[in-house]
Order: sequence, then C-alpha cells, then structure tokens
Amino acid sequence: MDTNPQPSGGSPPKPWEQSGASTSGPTPFKPPSPGTTSDVVEASGTARPGEIVTSTNSAANRNTLGRPVPTRPWEQQTYGNSYGGIGSGMNYNSGFGSGMYGSSYGSSYGSSYGSYGSSYGGYGGGTYGGGLYGNNMYRGGYGGLYGGGGMYGGGMYNGGLGGPMGGLGMGSMGPYGDQDPNNPYGPPPSPPGFWISFLRVMQGVVNFFGRVSILIDQNTQAFHMFMTALLQLFDRGGLLYGELARFVLRLLGVKTKPRKVQGPGPDGVPGPHNPRGLPAPHNPHGHQNFIEGPKAAPTGSWDNVWGDS
Amino acid sequence: MPVFKTPFNGYAVRFSPFYENRLAVATAQNFGILGNGRLHVLSLPPAPGAPLSEIVSYDTADGVYDVAWSESHDSILVAAVADGSVKIFDTALPPAQNPLRSFQEHTREVHSVDYNPTRRDSFLSSSWDDTVKLWTLDRPASIRTFKEHAYCVYSAAWNPRHTDVFASASGDCTVRVWDVREPGSTMIIPAHDLEILACDWNKYDDCLIATASVDKSIRVWDVRTYRQPVSVLNGHGYAVRNVKFSPHHRNLLVSCSYDMTVCMWDFMVEDSLVGRYDHHTEFAVGVDLSVLVEGLMASTGWDELVYVWQHGTDPRAP
Repeated sequence: MDTNPQPSGGSPPKPWEQSGASTSGPTPFKPPSPGTTSDVVEASGTARPGEIVTSTNSAANRNTLGRPVPTRPWEQQTYGNSYGGIGSGMNYNSGFGSGMYGSSYGSSYGSSYGSYGSSYGGYGGGTYGGGLYGNNMYRGGYGGLYGGGGMYGGGMYNGGLGGPMGGLGMGSMGPYGDQDPNNPYGPPPSPPGFWISFLRVMQGVVNFFGRVSILIDQNTQAFHMFMTALLQLFDRGGLLYGELARFVLRLLGVKTKPRKVQGPGPDGVPGPHNPRGLPAPHNPHGHQNFIEGPKAAPTGSWDNVWGDS
Repeated sequence: MPVFKTPFNGYAVRFSPFYENRLAVATAQNFGILGNGRLHVLSLPPAPGAPLSEIVSYDTADGVYDVAWSESHDSILVAAVADGSVKIFDTALPPAQNPLRSFQEHTREVHSVDYNPTRRDSFLSSSWDDTVKLWTLDRPASIRTFKEHAYCVYSAAWNPRHTDVFASASGDCTVRVWDVREPGSTMIIPAHDLEILACDWNKYDDCLIATASVDKSIRVWDVRTYRQPVSVLNGHGYAVRNVKFSPHHRNLLVSCSYDMTVCMWDFMVEDSLVGRYDHHTEFAVGVDLSVLVEGLMASTGWDELVYVWQHGTDPRAP
C-alpha cells in the first residue's frame, strides 16, 4: 500500500510543480514571503488569533454588493436579537424561507420563541424587554400572554406546530414565580435544567430548518423532496388532507358538519346533557371533529385546532 | 471499478496526496440535516474487481461536510463538521485518541476545508457564518479570520502556486481572492447571478479560477481580466455542487451536480463536455481527482456510495 511513503518531508511533488510551466503572463499576486504561515501572517500585522465572528457582524458588509443578498434562514425573525443578549452567540430565530411555506413556519416559530423568550428574560438574561418584564410582578402574566400569542399564531397559521409550543410557554411559567420581585437587578439564578434542554432542542429545530433552507437555496429538487417528506409526516395521523379540505370548504362558505363523536361516552355522559359539545372530563376524545372519523390523534394538540364550527 | 457503501449520505471524497490507493470520505446522517457524521478512510483493492476496504472510520456528533488530507503528514486529516468545529484526526493514533484536536470557533456549519499544498503547514475552513478561517496545527486557535462575504461561504481553495493566495466562493454570488498578508480581499469577482457553491484554481495557470453555481453553470475566470469569463460550461441540469481542476491536464476539470451526474470538461474547446457519468442515483456532491494516478476519479453522493474509477471507464463496471 505504501507506494509513496514520504511522511517527514511532506507530500510527493505535484505534477504541476514538475512541469515547470507556471502562467500565461504576469500575475497580479505578490511574491510569496519566506517562513511559516503563522510567521508570515503575524509579520503582516493581520493576525487575529481565535477571533469569533457571529454572523450578524457581517451585515454591515452587505452593501458592498450590487445585488440583494437573501436573508439567512436563521435570521428572519427579529426575536433573535434578544437571545443574542444572553451572550451565547446562538441565533434562535427561525423562519423557514420564503414563499407560502415560509409564512406559516415563520409565524409559528416566531411566536413560540416569544413564549420562551419572555421566560428566559424572567431570570434576568439580557436587556430585552423580557428581562424587564420578567423581573417584576407581571412575570407570570406576561409569559402567559406570550405563550398565548404563540398559540394564536400557531392556531391561525399552522395548527400543528404552534399549538403545543404556545401551550408550553403558558403552562410552564410557574417555576419563575418565586423569584424576589423586589430585586430586578440581582444576580440571575442558575438556569433550570428544563429550559436549557428546551433551548437546546429549539436550537436543534432551528439548525434543522436552517440546513433545510440552505439545501433549498441550493436546489429546488431538495425542496420538493423535503416538502413531500414533511407532508407525509404530517399526514401520518390521517389528518392533514381531511382537515385542509374542510378548512378550504369553510373558507368558501360551505358549512361542513364535522362528524362529532357525541353519543354517550364510556362514562355514560349522554349527549343532551352536554349541549355545547364540551368533552366530558373523563372522555378526552369525546369531541373529535375528524372527517375520517374517530381515529385516535397522536397528541391532544390536534383537537379543536380549527375551532368549533 | 470499486464501490464502497457508507452507512450515511456521502458529502465529500479526497484522495490522499501520499498514497495512491488511499482516500477519505466525509459522510453525514439524514442527508446532513440532522444526526451524526462519520469520516471513512478507505483503501483501494490491490487487484481490480475487489471492493474498497475500510482502514478506519471516525464518528462525529454532527455531520461531516468536507475533509482534507494534510500535505505534511501522511496520516493526518482535517474534517469540516456541521456543528461548527474543525476536527483533526490522525490515523496513526489509536481510535481513543481521536480526534486529535477540535477547533470550535465557527458559529455555524463548516462547509469546506482545504490544506495548503505549497507551504504545507496551514489550512482553511469556510463556514456558513460568512467567514473563512486560517489555521495551523501548532496553534490552539485560528491565526486569522477573513470576514467580508455577506452570506455563507461554501468553499475556500488555496492557489496551488502562490502559497499566500486563496479564493473563496460564497452564496453572496461573489468569489473573492485573498492574500493572507493583506487585511482585506484583493479581488471581488461577481461571478454568477446565483449562489456560488464551489471554486478551484487551475493547477497549470495560476490566474484561472473555476466557479460552480446554483445557476447550473461552471465558469472559468482569469483574475487579470475578470469582467468576462474565459469560458462558460453549460450542461448540468441542476445546481453544480463541486468543481475541481485536473492535476495533470491544464484544460480539464471535473464537476458534480444535484442533477446526480459527474462531468468532465475541457474548457478550451467548443464541445466542452468530455464525459458524463450518471452512476449516482441521488445528488452527487463530492468529487476528486487523484494527484498520483492520472485519470483516477472518485465521487460520492447522497445514495451512500463511493465510486472510484478510471476516466473513460464505467464506474459501475465490476
């Protein structure tokens, strides 16, 4: 196997080095400097060891181009600035790109970030409004509102993704309620494990969409493939197309009565005693409006996504 | 010719500059979108007809997008990892001691690495955080950072004759030429109207750069007269993902594309398409030409296959 063993002196000479011919005329390049690369760079005064650059820094350079530059997929929501303030160098903003898919993803993620943005602010990270609100007595309510916002955005535009996240923002504000409300500038308590892990998960989601978006940038074929896969994933519960069709019909003014599974539940709550269609406490699947009938939903969040029409 | 099946989707392939029968393959799980990565070091069979065999492989926590062999040590590899790290592997060391180093400075995915072929002590990494970084193995941090691009930098390539000069290709539709001694780029070439995914220098004419773009074309530029391309190579059906000049012939270059083909071009003649290989059944994203064996090519793609073949032969032929 070792046909050209030259482990000490570097790789064997390249074929173009042996050929001698170098160029078709004078070159615009400066002649090489002697020494190692680090010496050369340090001698030139341009060395900056270990410089960390966040992608936002280069925004100032954009006007050096004569043409518009697409927005980075992880930079499309302005919520991201607040997370920058945490000092992690992470960009949590998402958004999915452009076009019709972009609007739905962007809105649902944006609003769900809102929900955990305010909670993060709750322990004093950064100068974002969340930090301000988070340390006063309105903490719980604010978080709740934001979470509700996420729910609203999600429910309006994207049912599946936005809903559970909004719910999370609302329901999990409790742990921060016991901070000292009179000490807004005190040292932030150590972040709870749940939120850190949640943020990591969210960054995974953001990375996921960022990479998908880059792939889509590079190639429309990948976009088609990805959307097909995503639709298949969403349709695994047998919900997507039925609900979509019903929604479109509803927009067109056609009243489609969802097939309600209303009859007496296993606990014997009869229909007439439940006139508003609310599910009985022990019968969580008693109010399903799936067109395809009483198929069990993967999670409860799919229920009632489109309202009660 | 030999084939190797990788467990993950292929992203890049590079022949060793030391051993004519050795190559490295960078792979990533789930098309590089989510999951782990693996770096394979493969060996060509002594006799034709046998499959490629694996010498060693290394697992990473995120996808590996590119790999480069050291030009100074025959066992050292540099890997571009999607978590933003640049990792150094030494195949001479036991697996427990690998990776030898992990440099964590890029804030986004690292998309390419290139080892300096002339001074042989440094390498470049280009990243989706819009920067290119210059590293040496003996320093714990990067020497300097080149930040001018306004979008992801997909590729950076050293000039094979001018040891301080390199070019970078970016999604901001420009190629920039840099000298590591200068504070800024020395040249900005608005090479395409759409994103540029790769660039490479001609090995025999130090002023020629080839660029591969989302606009499905490859363009060859002379840095002295960069208002017009020297040549425009059309023929790929989708974005061109990678381009490499031949180490043995001035006018030949090879490319791979999202149209799943690998093409060989002669940019100086009218009918520039010399050969087309459609052996991949998914996106072909990695291609390389052997420096040591004339005409020996390798490619990898999302179909999880690595092909090595002689130009002019069928890669799928047993």
